[in-house]
Amino acid sequence: MASTTTSQKPITTSDSKPEDPQQKPTAALEEDDEFEDFPVDDWEAEETEAAAGGTGTNTQHLWEESWDDDDTSDDFSNQLKEELKKVEAARKR
Amino acid sequence: MEFGNHLYREFEEAWEANNGYRLAATINPDLSAAQLGKIHQSIDPDSGNWKASQEDNVKGSIKRGLQSTSIRTRGFDNDEIKGWTDVYFAYWTVTGTLARARAQGPSSQVSLQLLWTEVFEQWKKFVNALVQGYNNYGFEAWTIPCLYVAGKYLRLFAMQADDERSKNPSENDSANAFQDDFDPETDKHQKLEDCARVLNRVFSVCLNDRAPLEESRKWGIYFIINLLFKTYFKLNSPSLSKNVLRILTAGRGDMPDFYSFPRSQQVTFKYHEGVLNFLEENYAEAEKHLTEAWGLCHKDAIRNKELILTYLVPCRLITTHTLPTEKLLEPYPRLQRLFLPLCRCIKKGELHAFDLALQEGEDEFVKRRIYLTLERGRDIALRNLLRKVFIAGGFMPAAEGEKPVRRTRIPVAEFAAAISLGSQERLDNDEVECLLANMIYKGLMKGYISREQGKVVLSKSGAFPGTGV
Amino acid sequence: MMPTWPAAPPAPGVTPSNTYTTTYSAAPAFTPVPVRQSFAQPYGNPTSSRSPTTTNHSDQADDQSKKKIDWPESVRQYVQRSFLPANLEPTISRPEMEAKLKETITHATERGIMFALDWDTMPLPQELILEDRARMAAVSISLPSHGGSPNSASKKRKSGDLTDRAKLASPPPWRAGQGARLEDRVTYTNKDKRPTVDEPADNTSKLNKYEKRQKRFNGGYTSTYRSPSPPPCDGPVVGTCQDLEKRYLRLTAPPKASAVRPPSVLRQTLELLKKKWKKDQNYSYICDQFKSMRQDLTVQRVRDEFTVEVYEIHARIALEKGDLGEYNQCQTQLKALYKLGLKGKPNEFKAYRILYFIHTANRTELNNALADLTAAEKKDEAIKHALDVRSALALGNYHRFFQLYNETPNMGAYLMDMFVGRERLAALCNVCKAYKPDVPLRFVTEELYFETDIEAAQFIIDHNGQELLQEKEGTIMFLTGKAGQTFESAKKQAFSRVDIKGQI
Repeated sequence: MASTTTSQKPITTSDSKPEDPQQKPTAALEEDDEFEDFPVDDWEAEETEAAAGGTGTNTQHLWEESWDDDDTSDDFSNQLKEELKKVEAARKR
Repeated sequence: MEFGNHLYREFEEAWEANNGYRLAATINPDLSAAQLGKIHQSIDPDSGNWKASQEDNVKGSIKRGLQSTSIRTRGFDNDEIKGWTDVYFAYWTVTGTLARARAQGPSSQVSLQLLWTEVFEQWKKFVNALVQGYNNYGFEAWTIPCLYVAGKYLRLFAMQADDERSKNPSENDSANAFQDDFDPETDKHQKLEDCARVLNRVFSVCLNDRAPLEESRKWGIYFIINLLFKTYFKLNSPSLSKNVLRILTAGRGDMPDFYSFPRSQQVTFKYHEGVLNFLEENYAEAEKHLTEAWGLCHKDAIRNKELILTYLVPCRLITTHTLPTEKLLEPYPRLQRLFLPLCRCIKKGELHAFDLALQEGEDEFVKRRIYLTLERGRDIALRNLLRKVFIAGGFMPAAEGEKPVRRTRIPVAEFAAAISLGSQERLDNDEVECLLANMIYKGLMKGYISREQGKVVLSKSGAFPGTGV
Repeated sequence: MMPTWPAAPPAPGVTPSNTYTTTYSAAPAFTPVPVRQSFAQPYGNPTSSRSPTTTNHSDQADDQSKKKIDWPESVRQYVQRSFLPANLEPTISRPEMEAKLKETITHATERGIMFALDWDTMPLPQELILEDRARMAAVSISLPSHGGSPNSASKKRKSGDLTDRAKLASPPPWRAGQGARLEDRVTYTNKDKRPTVDEPADNTSKLNKYEKRQKRFNGGYTSTYRSPSPPPCDGPVVGTCQDLEKRYLRLTAPPKASAVRPPSVLRQTLELLKKKWKKDQNYSYICDQFKSMRQDLTVQRVRDEFTVEVYEIHARIALEKGDLGEYNQCQTQLKALYKLGLKGKPNEFKAYRILYFIHTANRTELNNALADLTAAEKKDEAIKHALDVRSALALGNYHRFFQLYNETPNMGAYLMDMFVGRERLAALCNVCKAYKPDVPLRFVTEELYFETDIEAAQFIIDHNGQELLQEKEGTIMFLTGKAGQTFESAKKQAFSRVDIKGQI
């Protein structure tokens, strides 16, 4: 469907107007939280983040597991072992 | 563009090329005070028939100008002439006020005339004239970029007007504070709310076009929806945004395919749709939309990518228990500050440090409405802590030829010790059990608690699902 | 029968929906609360902040709004009947009728009783209007200002007055065959193991509070609903009425000065009402009187610390009686008044707001409330308590939640009563999944803060858990291992009414 209509659609790539400097006072109204207007209307697939950062779904280097097995030299794990020994000792008494 | 031959020729050429953007340039308000002043003065309201009203004179002048174009013979009919006359008249009106408003400059905080309010009201009339054009005077779909300009500035002027009013409180405002149910919160965004109503009409104009898709105003739908989203977000009314989505979904049957709209509109839409779901705690849905927005986003749109991640990171914490890598956050120092400390604590199972990090970033998190989501990261931190206890417990002696199995019967007291260490507070055993029960209930830990024995009996096959043990 | 109050009486045999629950309830009620929408609907409605519509605007309340598509047939017919030529009243204009209709229907929607009311016998709007007018005419005769009950006494809704103490104080029925001797065996559990509670292990104080709350009557009382705002006046009226007590009447026209009490009189009224409340505990009367006071303050544009005091007291009384609708109105006003810088107890009420949003699971407002807090406010005892409640629930820490419930400052416990039921269900689900094969019933009683083992058992039974209670060597055990999904659907239901994703 997309292919038949793209040639017909009235929208063409163009640049929208830059933000009027007079509008800047509105930035004080938390406008920095707003999703920004893109400087261009449209772009090719090559320019997307998916293309740039690897495919959209294969983001293995971007996300990682929430657990960590790197225990052994960890300060915290040693403390834990100490604390656990204390508990074990207390139980045996 | 000043009123005169130049303008009418431009109109003609835009018409012939069906170039909506070119046409939209003729009603652009994004000009300096001087330029606007010139436009306003390019029609002399007092010229012409002394019997006619100023309005008549101006309209008459515009009408004649439009009539003089050569496209009269090519389908530019009387109805449209009337419609565009009204539109240009409304535009002409606002140029005068806008020139004065811009000229007064930001330094004059105290504005006796509330010029921006006037600008907003007049621009509103302009928008309505356009809407009328589509509804009643047969404006064609290719002219839609005019609606974009109209909508975009309606919103900006509304915010400007609200801002101006907040700096110039008047007696009228306090008169409203008279009813038993006055809420000062409502007044703060008066004009923006008004704007939302008008944008909704524009939305209808786009949605309810029965022309065949190639010529339909439906092509404007996402631009307008995005404006509505931004407006409702600022008004802190996510449920109204939901309404819009509902209406859109209901009408989706005969809409152009989403992916054939410009990418800028797709990304903006998906972002907002994602955040809306996020706010409702539909994290799975939110992740879908936000991920898509991310993937489609222009790679150089740093700020927008940052915004997407602001919600995507907490989302994934909940849906897949995954954390952003340092690589992912590399281009975003703000996000690094926001998220990395928490992530470190989660990974290491450091409860107290987690609490501190959460508190440290609380204001920022709350502001962005991600606090409640991130808070739940504590469950993951706790899970990791308990997992460490399990691993530290080592293996049980294995029978001949059998693979050693980890110790699965763990005294509650051991978990309690770990939690006390981790959270730096002494919890009583019942509270510890409660936390353990939670882990089990949420599927983060598999096993059961034997109250009688004061032990947790973990599953031999995957005590901590998804973590390799 | 012409109803005394604008609210329509429920159909015979149908109790109006509970506006609140006691501390445990078989069917924890969702109170449909008229949270004021921040601004009018996008389509059609005028901007005017003078006649806001009262709509249900919690996150999920779209379905409860007054859209016509949701009205039952009986309501539609009621509307149609109102406009039948034969029923039209020449002295009543169409706008008046429409306003009255809107009011009546909105009220029913807000109270969640639209389907419970008998619309076929509901007085038509014109009848209600005529009755109002008659009363307005009557009120110009002054009521006795001191002592005795006002004339309205005889017209009070009797059902609202019943405090069926005897009925509530007795233990709930125990099903036959389930070990009737449990009652003998129940001892009051002294929660002395709780380390952090600052109360001395003083059963009496806790009991009293609990008992007091238990003794709230169930149903019966229906609060008067919000009036539409009086039309704008040119300037504030300066009242001259000297009557201390005055019935509340909706204004359909600017009031006469002689009908409005000046602040000096109102101060005396407040003192009188405080005494009367203590003595009689007659909520419908008190609520009515307070609304009348509020109205007098509003039309005279009095916005000072006295106004704050009036709203605060009314809010607290409403809370105690579980009248969330009235409480909410007061709360909204208080927020605005505090914002003007007026002194009062903003922290106390901020804490209530937080608890309230927890109850309604209004994520947006909760987020807003959090964003609104200063560092100093977060340290305030009441606010901190509310925040701790929130975070305990967010992480499923029911143990901590019930401890906090036990220590709630001010009147917050009445708010928490609203959602204790569902949180108990959630906790029970946790316990059932995590503990095997069983736990002592006593454990449930203590963890979930039931007053007695019987109460805990009753709760379990009320949710189809009777098979899960078994005696073992002299102790009642709760067989979690066999529970399966027993409590899950009840929990889902309890939470779905406020659309929580079952967070616990």
